[in-house]
Amino acid sequence: MNGYGGSILRVDLGTGKITKEPTPADLARDFIGGRGFGLYFLFKEVPKGADPFGPENKLIVSPGPLSGLMIPGAGKCDFTTKSPLTGGYASASMGGHLTAEIRYAGLDSIILEGVSPKPVYLLIDDDKIELKDASELWGKGTIEVEKHFKDTLGEEYQVAVIGPGGENGVSFASINHDYGRQAGRGGVGTVMGAKRLKAIVVHGTKSIPVADVEAYRKAGLALYKACKDAEMLKDWTAYGTTIVVSWCDEVGALPTRNFSAGSFEGGKTLYGPVMRQEIVITDKGCFGCPSPCGKYSRMKRYDSHVEGPEYETIGMLGSNLGIADIQDVAQANLLCDDLGIDTISAGGVIAWAIECYEKGILTKKDADGLELKFGNTEAVFALIRKIAAREGFGALLAQGAKRAAQQIGQGSEKFAIHVKGMEQSAYATHNATAMLLAYMTCDVGAHHNRAWAITYDIQVGRDKVVPEKVARVIWLQNFRPMFDVLGACRLQWVELGIDRDLYVPALEAITGVHRTWEDLEKVGDRLWNLSRMFWARENEGFGREWDMPSPRFYEEPPKTGVTAGQITRFEDVQRLLDMYYEQRGWGSDGLPTQATLEKLGLASLVS
Amino acid sequence: MTATIHCFGILKSYTNGQTEVVVEAGCTVREAVSELGIPVDIVAMVVVNDEPRDRDYRLRDGDVVRLVTVMGGG
Amino acid sequence: MRLYVDSTKCSGCRACLVACSLNLFRENNPKKGALLVIPHFPAPGVYEVKVCTQCGDCAAVCPTGAIKQNERGAYYVDFEECNLCEACVPECPESVMFVRTELADAAWKCDLCGDCVSVCGTGALWIAD
Repeated sequence: MNGYGGSILRVDLGTGKITKEPTPADLARDFIGGRGFGLYFLFKEVPKGADPFGPENKLIVSPGPLSGLMIPGAGKCDFTTKSPLTGGYASASMGGHLTAEIRYAGLDSIILEGVSPKPVYLLIDDDKIELKDASELWGKGTIEVEKHFKDTLGEEYQVAVIGPGGENGVSFASINHDYGRQAGRGGVGTVMGAKRLKAIVVHGTKSIPVADVEAYRKAGLALYKACKDAEMLKDWTAYGTTIVVSWCDEVGALPTRNFSAGSFEGGKTLYGPVMRQEIVITDKGCFGCPSPCGKYSRMKRYDSHVEGPEYETIGMLGSNLGIADIQDVAQANLLCDDLGIDTISAGGVIAWAIECYEKGILTKKDADGLELKFGNTEAVFALIRKIAAREGFGALLAQGAKRAAQQIGQGSEKFAIHVKGMEQSAYATHNATAMLLAYMTCDVGAHHNRAWAITYDIQVGRDKVVPEKVARVIWLQNFRPMFDVLGACRLQWVELGIDRDLYVPALEAITGVHRTWEDLEKVGDRLWNLSRMFWARENEGFGREWDMPSPRFYEEPPKTGVTAGQITRFEDVQRLLDMYYEQRGWGSDGLPTQATLEKLGLASLVS
Repeated sequence: MTATIHCFGILKSYTNGQTEVVVEAGCTVREAVSELGIPVDIVAMVVVNDEPRDRDYRLRDGDVVRLVTVMGGG
Repeated sequence: MRLYVDSTKCSGCRACLVACSLNLFRENNPKKGALLVIPHFPAPGVYEVKVCTQCGDCAAVCPTGAIKQNERGAYYVDFEECNLCEACVPECPESVMFVRTELADAAWKCDLCGDCVSVCGTGALWIAD
């Protein structure tokens, strides 16, 4: 099949059985790849009520039809599972080089099932596929383990590995790769750890067949030319995602002290140009990327290296914790990566804990003797270690902010900043209604990457509650995740502003199937509704209440910073949701109507 | 005494599609941007002669300014 | 004319290698590219790139005359005439003469097609005299 490796790999970690099946043509036609394959297998094969930590849950690892080819940013890999953090849909997208290697091994998806009796790693070497003993590696950090495989097997081998965080069952454990890329959110690393799978190691030497080599080559070169001609290329490459730190601070979107404000007094020392000067040594790229946004850094103070920190980590482990020193943020980033926990959720739950301490809800004794104040870097380093080990006070935080707040109570639920149990990522939404709606309705919980709408908020009027904003969020939700389905990065369109229609002839030349962006957005709409039905199936009473944001964004105007005194009204939160359900073709209960399911061809799959 | 301002992405919609605009030197970047009808809040970054600067930087003769906007975000 | 590289600008993306394999073999397989992109991670955290300088040492030692010059004046391997003797491999001062029988039935090297330069977004690669 043109554009595909041709096989789905199924690994039963309980029995050790490894099988391959041909990739079904209608699956490729209707779900395309990547995130699409992940959601299909999740919905179809994980039984209702499955324990996310148990043998019935599956972790589905999928490249897309663009992965590994001569296409800008062709380095994205999707990891889908039932989330141990939220109990709903988890899909995390990882950059680097793993996705390409999976394709060169002839695979379109790897379905990991069951639970291994002992720690193992999966070694894929073209058609030689084995589960091998990982007892010597269990307990080790992700960087040491990746280096071990690179040193013993060779640089061509691509490695995805969990750290002690995943091994110990931290609810928001990550999967790490290429010394600095992650499948970060929703506990995808937790599931890998629950299955006792320490690492996935891949090497492939096959080529990926395409329908029309000449047309593909021409379309690929046109995409690269567009990227190289983009006016934004130079600045984007210099700063990567850190390009927005100063701007977010200036417009009140930079999360500060557990989202109590949107600008940070210490912020200037976290800005992109300061970071570049102080710590960055290499602009590191994912597979095929002409606009390398990875900022590989060296922290002289700690004699260490990290890929990062990204904007999100600067927000969540920097300003959100009252930390103003970029080397400290970078070191916190490294600890999270090496121990294998998501920096965003870690920042969210630690900020909650600090606010509890400052309000007297938690004491020094509760916190194992740590002084939890905003700005206390040493306490943050200690907490990250405790969380990864699920030791002492870390065991409470390792459950995530929602569950930790439910246990502690005393009003602390009001400032566990999450939606659906996933800690909100780094945009403060006191007064940015499209972005607030994006967080409320994101399909994995409060994550920003489906619909990023803050510039739009500012252009149209940040407190406006109008149908156009809702339409914009919906369009972005149907469109942006399609890059995760195709297995390539969206940031060439997002940041460089290249014409997205340049992807159309490339996709056709590769797969032999003509698809416009309108066709792709229809698939996106279908996937969006399917994941909504997954949430509904797995969570009794799922609906409107689950889409509500933290009350901080409609009850507590910031006292400091650019958005001081600004807040969204509760009635507007409800209005946004009403308009959203209407435009999505959902009932007022927040669920897709039968008519909508039929229109999207989902009626039989979900019945 | 003039400076040149390069406008990227959606900023062009405020300058009638012009990517290069020549302005009088002596005012701040913030003032020059306002003059052009661009809401200052959508300018993510200001780069002057390849050096990042803040919006209160006072323009000098011959300065080449790049105004970076963030359309799509993360 | 030959290829030049500034390793300090390399991001390790390997787009050059895919473009190269597409040119040499009409395949998407960076292991069949004719440059070396060597990662040095986790420390010092840089990429090292080696390219063909068109020095001709490989052609000088080839016993079958399989290494010829094309219309760009660049040395290339005529796959039909290569007998896999591997005499050329140790001669290459940049280690960019490739023989991997599990991947191809002949040696391969850079033929100066320039596609790597076209896809390199950081300007790490360029062609000059």
